[in-house]
Amino acid sequence: MKLSLSWIKDFVNIPEDMDLKKLAYDLTMSTVEVEDVEYLARRFDNMIVGVIEKIEAHPNADRLRVCKVDIGGGEIRDIVCGGSNLEEGMRVAVSCPGAVVRWHGEGEPVVIKNSKLRGVESYGMICASDEIGLGDLFPAKQEAEILDLSAFDVPAGTSLADALDMNDVILEIDNKSMTNRPDLWGHYGIAREIAALYDLQLAEIRPFETDVQSDFRVEIEDPDRCTRFMGVEMSGVYVKPSPYKMQNRLWKAGMRPINALVDITNYVMLATGSPSHAYDADNIVDHIVVRHAKEDEKLMLLNDKVLDLCTDDLVIADGEGPVGLAGVMGGAKDSILPKTERVILEVANFDAAGIRRTALRYDNRTEASARYEKAIDPERCEQAVALSMQYFKELYPELKVTGFCDNYVKKLNRAQIDVSLSWLEKRLGKHLTNDVIRGKLEKLGFDVQIDGDNMHVTAPTWRSTGDISIKDDVMEEVARMYGYDNFDATEFTTTFTGAINQKDKSLIRNIKEYLAIRCGMQEVYTYPWMNDVFVNAVLQSTDGILRLSTPPAPDLSCIRSSLLPNLCEAVAKNERYFNDFAIFEEAQVFFDRNYTSVYDPTESLPEQRRHIGAAFASDVKDINTLFREVKGVLEYMPRYTHMEAFEFRKEEKPVWADNVVWLNIYLGDKRIGDMGLVAKKVSMDCGIKNLSVMLFELDAAKLQPLKSRTNKFTHLAEYPETDYDISMLFDSNVEWNDIYDAVMGQKKASALLKEASFVDEYRGKQIPQGKKSVTIRLTIGSDEKTLTSQEIESAANQVMKKLGKKMGAELRTQ
Amino acid sequence: MKDKINSVLSEAKTKIAEAASESGLQSVKSAYVGKQGSLTLLMKELPKLDAALRPEMGKLLNQAKNQVTELIDAKRTELKLKASEVSPDFDCSVPGIMPSGGGLHPITQMCYDLNDTFRSMGFEIFEEDEITSELYAFDKLNFPPNHPARESMDTYWLEGHDSGSTNEKLCLRPHLTGGSVRYMQTHKPPYRFVYPGRVYRNETTDAHHERAFFQYEALIVDKDITFTSGKVMIQSILSKVFGRHVPVRMRSGFFPFVEPGFEIDMQCQVCGGKGCSVCKHVGWIEVMPGGSPHPNVLRAAGLDPDVYTGFYVNIGLDRLVMMRYGVDDVRLFHSADLRFLKQFK
Repeated sequence: MKLSLSWIKDFVNIPEDMDLKKLAYDLTMSTVEVEDVEYLARRFDNMIVGVIEKIEAHPNADRLRVCKVDIGGGEIRDIVCGGSNLEEGMRVAVSCPGAVVRWHGEGEPVVIKNSKLRGVESYGMICASDEIGLGDLFPAKQEAEILDLSAFDVPAGTSLADALDMNDVILEIDNKSMTNRPDLWGHYGIAREIAALYDLQLAEIRPFETDVQSDFRVEIEDPDRCTRFMGVEMSGVYVKPSPYKMQNRLWKAGMRPINALVDITNYVMLATGSPSHAYDADNIVDHIVVRHAKEDEKLMLLNDKVLDLCTDDLVIADGEGPVGLAGVMGGAKDSILPKTERVILEVANFDAAGIRRTALRYDNRTEASARYEKAIDPERCEQAVALSMQYFKELYPELKVTGFCDNYVKKLNRAQIDVSLSWLEKRLGKHLTNDVIRGKLEKLGFDVQIDGDNMHVTAPTWRSTGDISIKDDVMEEVARMYGYDNFDATEFTTTFTGAINQKDKSLIRNIKEYLAIRCGMQEVYTYPWMNDVFVNAVLQSTDGILRLSTPPAPDLSCIRSSLLPNLCEAVAKNERYFNDFAIFEEAQVFFDRNYTSVYDPTESLPEQRRHIGAAFASDVKDINTLFREVKGVLEYMPRYTHMEAFEFRKEEKPVWADNVVWLNIYLGDKRIGDMGLVAKKVSMDCGIKNLSVMLFELDAAKLQPLKSRTNKFTHLAEYPETDYDISMLFDSNVEWNDIYDAVMGQKKASALLKEASFVDEYRGKQIPQGKKSVTIRLTIGSDEKTLTSQEIESAANQVMKKLGKKMGAELRTQ
Repeated sequence: MKDKINSVLSEAKTKIAEAASESGLQSVKSAYVGKQGSLTLLMKELPKLDAALRPEMGKLLNQAKNQVTELIDAKRTELKLKASEVSPDFDCSVPGIMPSGGGLHPITQMCYDLNDTFRSMGFEIFEEDEITSELYAFDKLNFPPNHPARESMDTYWLEGHDSGSTNEKLCLRPHLTGGSVRYMQTHKPPYRFVYPGRVYRNETTDAHHERAFFQYEALIVDKDITFTSGKVMIQSILSKVFGRHVPVRMRSGFFPFVEPGFEIDMQCQVCGGKGCSVCKHVGWIEVMPGGSPHPNVLRAAGLDPDVYTGFYVNIGLDRLVMMRYGVDDVRLFHSADLRFLKQFK
């Protein structure tokens, strides 16, 4: 909301020497956020009113003229101009060198310099209204029309800001900071707050009085939805422009002047915060009824939109049907037209929720509905009527009031609250005297009665529409008026009942730190929605996937049931810059199933789990190396992060995986994830060009943190142990798992064997087709003595013999 | 002959002692015991001597030769131990080889730093599911039905769950605070917990607006807490993030779920409060809302607001990280762009 300081000063006597920075600061700290304080005149720096003395042809251009312009002090300058309405004797806005304008009202601001136009020297420029930001105040009627200021009787050389009454300050208030304060939505409301802050005098708006007697009446059918309707019927009015001062203020507050009748209603709304509406009285058949719309009723609005109304809508109707959508917008039928001679002024109060429903239903939110839906107090109607009538009479001295009514059908009760003073002190953390508390509240319009520990507070009507309703609200009023800066930080104490031990939280953190710091992977964040391309490529089905009803883009409606599609997208995006990288993400995934809630029996939430997913991408490592790297990351994870170890099985191939290179990850009998190589086709569909990609995904909630560390101690070997490598030929399809089992399983191949570990495997030259060579490192030793080389060799031979017998392995001889 | 031998020997000893490098030592060696060395040449003169003198001189010469060789070997060992294994032009200024470079997301880093701070003050860490019902997103937080504030957070509703009563309508959480009610419902007071998480708003994005962003909520609820206790929590957060004391101010702000409510500003860390383009020339930057939980929120959590009160802050981690490092586009956080992420160690 934009507020004019001079307008605020109509209502409160702000001292001339008030520091506006401080005013903005104080308002911000205690009431509403002042986003900007703009000295309006600065927009018009180096702009003056000039008088065109003579117009001459331009020697080199048909469309341009050379104007001899009096710029004050008897100085005449040449200004080249292409305006279509130039006339000798005209007062015009001249932007002198240094002024900032926008060409044709568009684009970036430009600083005016002395320049030559088609060979003729020009002192600045003669401006069109939109070039100096005044397009809304002085709308141009034709192409290339310059701003004609002849109506402003000022001498040449007068600064434009002075001539146009722009020596004002605009306060821009953040609307969000006053959604709870309907009383502040106008100049008067802010003036009232300023008066309270600085203990200044607030102007009173005297009520409108009339003794007119007539049969003018207004009927209210639902007093819950329309609590008050003040109507004034008058004749002797007609459409004309409103006085410049009114137009100027409307423009400063961000509205466009239209005509005097409409401008008065807008002006009064901006002044008091109370919307009003003027109907052409001759178009009202019979009398006005405020009622619910009937089934199948239609209404054409001012903006020519035709609505199919429903019975929840409140309308202003006459004998024929609806003429306005109550509190939102007037209808086309009764609107102010050039032939209007009599009007009915409506200043009414409507139920906030109802207005909001209607405005939202037709997507038709207006300045009026925005104010009503915040719950305005009905007492304010009187101010609005009084101020309106003041302007009507000023603008139309010949005006006659022919009818008046005030249907105040549901009286607003002022909020009554009891506050315990000891409670207040406890919550404020500071002792304030009764006089201070009373003083702060009374300035805001509260009535205060103190009786012992009890303070009985009656809120003013303008704070009684929901804003102030409980004692905490009263406490806030006291604290903010006292100044939040004046309360010191206070320590808080607590009793510890034991160390905080959140194993599940620590486990996730340990895993992430393990992956990032130990395994050299980079954590990434992606959005919870997935692109259809990657869903189709990686998951290959949308079964069980939840969708957004208003997604960020049509192809982003699926929300993730797996982290892998977005990780593949991240790989594809990074392929341009990197050829060997590993990334991971920990985030929530969602499933359209198992609806339940542990918090509220009526609530039902879908299944939501926490996953950890990873992608390893490389075009420099061979698949075997990449696979072993990923598997190693997984195998070492439980040990590093202190959780139950998991195992790998081959039960069900993930849809995205290569036919051969994949594993399921199990914790006991529960499958908790998968790992595998992304199938070539999937990779292509994801737009990954050259990288081989390995993925894994774990269900983090199924991981089991250990209760404490489970390291085991064994005595250091008393006698040396020896590593002894053997290389043997196996059938190509023999798995290491089985080799290990044969050697180290239930019956160890040799009593002296401590461990057998995989060194590497080799296929290729020198190895017969269908075979592979596996190198195994045997750790051989005894608890009783140092072994001789013969004993070591014989233990190794036992292993080789067993592998020969059980696995058909042969010693590699070549 | 004898004198000659002795003089050559003592000359050789001096040269050996003076040798400063292995190559110098090598030339000493060839000068005395090499093929043309002076001791070798003396040896060749032996046959010319008297037969009677020969054995003695031969012995002397051999001893001298052995002594020189031994001295040279000893000197060589000594020089070797003194010398570097590399040539003197070894460049110590070349950069080190980094351990394989992974990292946590900068927001995760910030979040963990804050968790550590709050844990040390006895706060638990709480996490909640991201899909919630309107009941917890708005009703339980004292947003009146049909209140405009419901719209101030444009929410992502789920298809097939976007109409009906508020317990049936499901959305991606627009803020964390509804989850705090869930915590309070299922735990016994007093409470002190922090609640990090991602929230979602259906907005148009630009360098300063995102559809998905991180909040960090801290809540303390106990008997007899004043709103000024909140200042301690705010200070803890900011001094952890910026590594120094950061002045803050609390001013009036409205949020339905707190009473009183505050907007909390910190001194602009770019200009130190003097006013610059970052803080729009006011010297302060809005960083978080805060306040005492509204009595209706405490009631929704099953607490008696006459007994319990507390303080809540909710800070946007994205903005904090942006301010901390000068990141100028919030969308980078969800870009998964390694060129960006690898900068945060």
